[in-house]
Amino acid sequence: MNYLLQGFNNALELLFSGDPATVSAISTTVKVSSLSVAASIILGVPCGFLLGHCRFPFRSVVVTLVETLLAFPTVVIGLLVYALLSRHGPLGEWGLLFTLPGVAVGQTLLGLPIVIALTAAAVEGLDSRLAPTLLTLGAGRARLLWTTVHEARTALLAAGVTAYGRIVSEVGISMMVGGNIKWHTRTLTTAIALETGKGEFAQGIALGIVLLTIALAVNVSLSFLKRKSV
Amino acid sequence: MDLYEILRLEHRYRASIAVAIDRLAIAQGSITGLVGPNGSGKSTLLRILGFLEECTRGEIRFEGRAADPKDPSLRKKVTLLFQEPYLLKRSVFENVSYGLRARGETGRMRERVGEALKWVGLSPEKFAGRPWYALSGGEARRVALAARLVLKPRVLLLDEPTSGVDAPSVSLIKTASVRAREEWGATLIIATHDRFWLQAVADRTLTLVEGRLTCSGPGTFIHGPFELKSAEGPVKVLEGGTEIRLPAQPSGTSQAVLEAADMHIHPAPPESRPGQNVLECTLLHVALENDSAKLALGLSGGGLQWVAEMETAQFGRLCLSPGSRCWLAFEVSSLRWQ
Repeated sequence: MNYLLQGFNNALELLFSGDPATVSAISTTVKVSSLSVAASIILGVPCGFLLGHCRFPFRSVVVTLVETLLAFPTVVIGLLVYALLSRHGPLGEWGLLFTLPGVAVGQTLLGLPIVIALTAAAVEGLDSRLAPTLLTLGAGRARLLWTTVHEARTALLAAGVTAYGRIVSEVGISMMVGGNIKWHTRTLTTAIALETGKGEFAQGIALGIVLLTIALAVNVSLSFLKRKSV
Repeated sequence: MDLYEILRLEHRYRASIAVAIDRLAIAQGSITGLVGPNGSGKSTLLRILGFLEECTRGEIRFEGRAADPKDPSLRKKVTLLFQEPYLLKRSVFENVSYGLRARGETGRMRERVGEALKWVGLSPEKFAGRPWYALSGGEARRVALAARLVLKPRVLLLDEPTSGVDAPSVSLIKTASVRAREEWGATLIIATHDRFWLQAVADRTLTLVEGRLTCSGPGTFIHGPFELKSAEGPVKVLEGGTEIRLPAQPSGTSQAVLEAADMHIHPAPPESRPGQNVLECTLLHVALENDSAKLALGLSGGGLQWVAEMETAQFGRLCLSPGSRCWLAFEVSSLRWQ
């Protein structure tokens, strides 16, 4: 119990004292997870629209595959991305291993199935009268896509929040691809793993509370956006 | 000039035929009514004419040229108001202006949207900023109609535009729809069960049964169950016990249609004679048919609504008015099985 109280006190102290190591981990977490969520949304929304809107051969196989990827373990993604980006890997010459863009690649792969699956479900769940209504009002393909996405905005916001939640809380990819390098690729989750390993439980709990505070701030902002968009 | 020309059109949903029309021409600037029971293919035909659905077989010619339903430019000339219109999750203004923005016609948008809203009886000041969820069923239908009218389409297709809305909305929708022809010469094709309205405004009315055109003119449908009381043919027992005799029923048919022109109205019971059905009715409506000297009569009798037509002078001699009791007579042989 003392750990928790101590951890809570430490969290307040870390947040308000501006501890440089904590600020660096917060900044790294926010930067890399925002980049990953943005990439997941940019790539995932059009793919999810196509999956939910179009009918093509083996569509159900693709849907099953995407849904299976929702349960992709982060360490396995970390392992795959590490293998791809390592010096001897096919993308080794890009020099992305132990860098934030490298972590972002892995985290994007983690968020992508979530955005694709939830976008496809949202588009599929839209009123079947929407597409013929847009077409009869003269919408072209691009406008049809954009308006459909706009109509499903609440569900897409939920997809973004879910992807963000999964990305910001993962350890495996950040640890394996980023290497947990202080001042460079150390995120809040890898810092928590490190502090716990060192037996610094209170410090670990404090960083956990900081992480939850960030998640809360993001979710509050998004629910404000959601209310505004309805 | 014919705006649409349909040749050997057939549309199937899996194995069943939804629409099968050998030939149909629709004149530019005309109002065409489509009537028929539910599931007769009216909505499917409108979707095909609106280039939202591609027919399985056959050809549609539009403005004298073979029309490709995938050609988006065609949908800029033709617009369809669905039976249950969908409104975007946006304000009324954004809903009505959507088509204008899709066409890149953004000039004088506020003015044009306001004008369209006025046509359907909605005050722009009161309604333009209103969100989609703050509209009643009738208001939502009128907003959807305004979103079509603002485009000033060459063809306005209306799928049961007045079903399920209150009387004031019905009246406003009817007036605003016909205005499209008066103001910019639009061609209207209206699918509705309101045959009385069609008789008043339509240049012609087509009857669809099981996807096929059965008669061009208003008609009354008599559905089963039928009873086989004698060898002469089946009988339909109406409410009140009146029996309507029908000709022998060919296999594969399920309903009989009686064309308005085959009905005779009498102010007193006519002499009964073999081969004739007589039914006591109440005259409900009388209206002048569009561009003709004929009157469209709506009658109620035996639990059915009957549609009849009559010359104005002939009707004057009968001394009937809405609410009057009268007798409807028609030959058994004039009933046609579908």
